[in-house]
Amino acid sequence: MSMGNSNPGDDMPDFSDVSSGSTTTTSSAGSFKEYTIVAGDSLSKIAKRELGDANAWHKIFDANKDIIKDPNKIFPGQKIKIPL
Amino acid sequence: MTPNFKSTLALVALIALSACSKKEAPPAPPPPPAPAAAAPAPAPAPVVEPVSVKQLVLANKLGADNKAVAPATAFAPADTIFAVVETAGTGKATLKALWTFHKGDKTAQVNEAQEELTLAGPASTEFHISKPSGWPKGDYQVEIFLNGTSAATEKFTVK
Repeated sequence: MSMGNSNPGDDMPDFSDVSSGSTTTTSSAGSFKEYTIVAGDSLSKIAKRELGDANAWHKIFDANKDIIKDPNKIFPGQKIKIPL
Repeated sequence: MTPNFKSTLALVALIALSACSKKEAPPAPPPPPAPAAAAPAPAPAPVVEPVSVKQLVLANKLGADNKAVAPATAFAPADTIFAVVETAGTGKATLKALWTFHKGDKTAQVNEAQEELTLAGPASTEFHISKPSGWPKGDYQVEIFLNGTSAATEKFTVK
């Protein structure tokens, strides 16, 4: 059984334009998701994308005060916790 | 010795005898000390259940609570397809969804996505895929991995 992205001529469809996403929901306090900051991110952008509300950026900041000293200064590659 | 003297002497003797015979009751022995209260048994250690996948459900629509509105295994080409994974237990968990298309003996990878989680209780994780140009008709599968081990698989079709 062959596996892999389709190539022209092998009559398998092209899935290069597929987009995806995921979210986790829990009522259990203390749960969180790990997120790696990428270039162009800000806490408000991350909050908008992960929590559905840009104003929830302070929740992310509060959960990561050991890593983020200034909410306006985050860096690509930093691994932070997104509270669920 | 006169009779009066004898009577008096006898009376004195009687009084003396009764005084001697009076003995103070020995002090009551001290009550035995109360037994020390038994130390309370230590509370049993809470059972820690590791994270496990309880259910995998597919749907083309989710409710506000991240649950599948109407579970399905057949979808339309324009659908966004959701895989909802219910977990129980606590601890770190890496959940991965691997979506594949199957035609004969050939398999093509559609998408792969992963979530790194630390869970304090039951949770619901949804993975979704969409294709602006529409899903090719045929047979698909989504496989869910928990910490690198296959935990659930669901087949579906696009018609």
